[in-house]
Amino acid sequence: MTDDRELIDLADWAVSAALRLGAEEVAASASRSDQIQLAWRAGKIEQASEAVSRGLSVAVLVGDRYTSNATSDLRKSALSSFLADCVAAARELEPDVARRLPAPEECGRGASEAELDLDDPVWLTRTPDQRAADVAGLEAAIAERPAGDVVSTAANLAEGRGVSVRVTSGGFSELTRGAWFSLGGETTLRDGERRPEAAVGYAARYYRDLPSLPFIADDLRVRAEERLGSGPVSSGVYPAIIENRVAGRILGLLLGPIAGITLHEGRSCFRRSLGEPVGSSLLTILDDPLIPRGLASHAWDGDGRRPVRREIVAKGVLRSFYLNTYYARKLGMTPTSGGRSNWVVEAGPRPWQAVAADWPQAILVTGFLGGNANPTTGDFSFGIRGRLVENGVPTKALSEMNMAGNLGQILHDLVALGDDVWTYGSTQSPALIFGGVRFSGK
Amino acid sequence: MTDPLGGFSAFGVDLAGIRRVLAAATTWGADDADLYFEHTTGHSVGLSDGAVNRASLSTDVGVGVRVVVGDQVGYAYTEDLSLEAMLGAARTAATIARTAGREVPPVVSGRGTSPSYYPVGRNWEDVALTERIPLIRAWERAAFAMDPRIQKVQVSLADADKRVLIVRADGRMVTDHRPMTQAYVSCTAASGERTESGSHNLAARDDLAFYTADRQDRLVRLAVDRAIDALGATTAPAGEMTVVLAAGSSGILLHEAIGHGMEADFNRKGISIYADRMGTRIAPPGVSVVDDATLPGARGSLNVDDEASDTERTVLVEDGILKSYLHDRISARHFGVAPTGSGRRESFRHPVLPRMRSTYMEPGPYDPEEIVRSVERGILCETFGNGQVQIGAGDFSFYVRSGWMIEGGQRTRRVKDVNLIGNGPDALAGIEMVGNDLVIDEGGWTCGKDGQGVPVSQGMPTVKVGRLSVGGGQG
Repeated sequence: MTDDRELIDLADWAVSAALRLGAEEVAASASRSDQIQLAWRAGKIEQASEAVSRGLSVAVLVGDRYTSNATSDLRKSALSSFLADCVAAARELEPDVARRLPAPEECGRGASEAELDLDDPVWLTRTPDQRAADVAGLEAAIAERPAGDVVSTAANLAEGRGVSVRVTSGGFSELTRGAWFSLGGETTLRDGERRPEAAVGYAARYYRDLPSLPFIADDLRVRAEERLGSGPVSSGVYPAIIENRVAGRILGLLLGPIAGITLHEGRSCFRRSLGEPVGSSLLTILDDPLIPRGLASHAWDGDGRRPVRREIVAKGVLRSFYLNTYYARKLGMTPTSGGRSNWVVEAGPRPWQAVAADWPQAILVTGFLGGNANPTTGDFSFGIRGRLVENGVPTKALSEMNMAGNLGQILHDLVALGDDVWTYGSTQSPALIFGGVRFSGK
Repeated sequence: MTDPLGGFSAFGVDLAGIRRVLAAATTWGADDADLYFEHTTGHSVGLSDGAVNRASLSTDVGVGVRVVVGDQVGYAYTEDLSLEAMLGAARTAATIARTAGREVPPVVSGRGTSPSYYPVGRNWEDVALTERIPLIRAWERAAFAMDPRIQKVQVSLADADKRVLIVRADGRMVTDHRPMTQAYVSCTAASGERTESGSHNLAARDDLAFYTADRQDRLVRLAVDRAIDALGATTAPAGEMTVVLAAGSSGILLHEAIGHGMEADFNRKGISIYADRMGTRIAPPGVSVVDDATLPGARGSLNVDDEASDTERTVLVEDGILKSYLHDRISARHFGVAPTGSGRRESFRHPVLPRMRSTYMEPGPYDPEEIVRSVERGILCETFGNGQVQIGAGDFSFYVRSGWMIEGGQRTRRVKDVNLIGNGPDALAGIEMVGNDLVIDEGGWTCGKDGQGVPVSQGMPTVKVGRLSVGGGQG
């Protein structure tokens, strides 16, 4: 609690000091995080790291002139000098009337700390021995489930807890806390000249929400087996199943075109699409920052606004852009939020295997390798790995293949959703099933 | 009084305190240990809608404490440079050695000396905002003046002065002042119903003098040209075809297909596709690949690496034969070789890993146009985005922002936004021609590994690869 008080005092002091220096509006965020990482390989610790980290960020407005600044040098003498430089820099800029902090009445918490439930008390009682037992146990479980000729196995753990305070000259003053836990494993196999690797990872706000060690090891074995004997199949248009845990890569293509900065710069393929269909009627994406224990849940957004649940796409129709205070003013629109939180896509009625049973051949995408997208046109091209699926049954392992298309087209081509929502990430989606996607291989 | 830390008193530490912290770090013994102090000041200023309307300042300071026992690493860091906080971090890092300690008494002796691959004429901290603003204004004006189809222009200039002080338990102590600057111009162009965007950036370990008139012109012209050219470009066909990589930023092929696989931590663990291939042929004769920390002013250059090892020009592949991995001190000890000065970290918050610096292929004998004329049907890749590799399988991909279709030895139409995918050893074996036109790209490349990003450079002459899979959008 003393540390929390120190953070509040630090942010309060920064706001007051900047105002004394001539700033007209100030928002200060002070944070502290405890982070522990443990990597275990070949029966021993490979790397152990631990830190307590603190920082301060300060947004300063002087007559519609704006600077955003950050420092980890929290010595008061250094801070005084830093804040003076921030205010002085703002005076050198040109005014931009869109640069204002949101009105105080628009700011506040979207939910109480108890409602968000992000701060697992177990964090405070976890011991180094317990953490070591977790990674040692996971590596042992992986070793007990060899997927082939094993070159190397490893287990990784990362845990942390953060406290963040936001104070503004408009009277906002709040504190939020959250913990996180993650466990993962990796294995490398010998496969002729190749040494294919597989990795899995799970994250949760509460330690007890992580899956068991055998569950993780079983999952890794399946993924490792899928990498053996992999290669490309013929180029062509195939039905595509995007596995639930990587569906966020395809859904995330939306983020570029609906971001405030992209819209403001006039380089969004969806700049005229608000209220218009951008995908199949099966597609509904809910942005929910208030999910209890959600990995991307938060008490307030980047501007200090109260976060609210918001449909981004509803039955295929684009319902919302991501607009912070600045870009909303620039575009003459109502602010929403500057960035995404948890994305939720409802499950469909059938497993993807049942949907794919009608297709002689389809491609199951289980991972992506590089690639990118152009938000101006919606064109994308990604390297993929996965499995050929024949009449609903995974067969040949695939690698050295690409999938390419256009965002507007692929979202309209969504023909079904699996019944298997992935819950260990900030995108909670079932498998996405598309009728025809162009893949290139041999 | 002479500052024993060579002007690095900004850290607020002294030699007596450093000795105590190192002693705490090696309480349980160690094969190696180091303290990595870092102080970075950064500035950025941006222009949009015709106004210089955003700026940011940053200061980041802290120390990382590393204790190494065999191939095991204990690590802790703190932004609080009080003796008490540093001792706490040292004790945390030291716990790795509790069960397998070695006796290495900390001895801090004299400072090491380093070459200067990026001499700093003027600190960025001493450049007033009022000197940066005219630059970005001029870039915006120039962009609009170049083509009436340019609708929007965004410009930014970011720079930093990073100072590091590295103290090792074996007595070596070095300091390094690492400047960095990056300029960025993005343009949105429209013609009829079609809208496209294009951008270009320049980066270097250099001061304000980096921005010569020629460079400024190139920065703006390429951003404008890319936006305008994209208005007439289409997607490429899909499938396997011959690929010609234009000189310069196509060095990303080396970075992804070869470079990561040469990082010795992966080979020490046996998880790289290049493990156990030292001294064997991995590319055709005539193909030589270098990773170089010594290119003057390059974004990837380092006077000394992040564990105080001397840096160098490391030949990875010589005339097709694998000659060296990229080593930090842990892997060098493992393989019984000298470190290559490749131990790098994103910041004091991160432990050291073997990383690339500036990776490039040595030039070959062919005229670039001769290479294009030799292609019956293929793609010429000119500008690149990101890439990724699977270290063990060797599969890699990289994203081509713009290029040309080649048909009958001629450039026939512009293409854009395609991903290329292949296998590293296969792609190397498939190199058929190497041009005589090596270009080290001046872009702001950042390499990611284990959650750490470090600045790198890359270069390439024009190169023809027999077959790669092109992830185009057409049949």
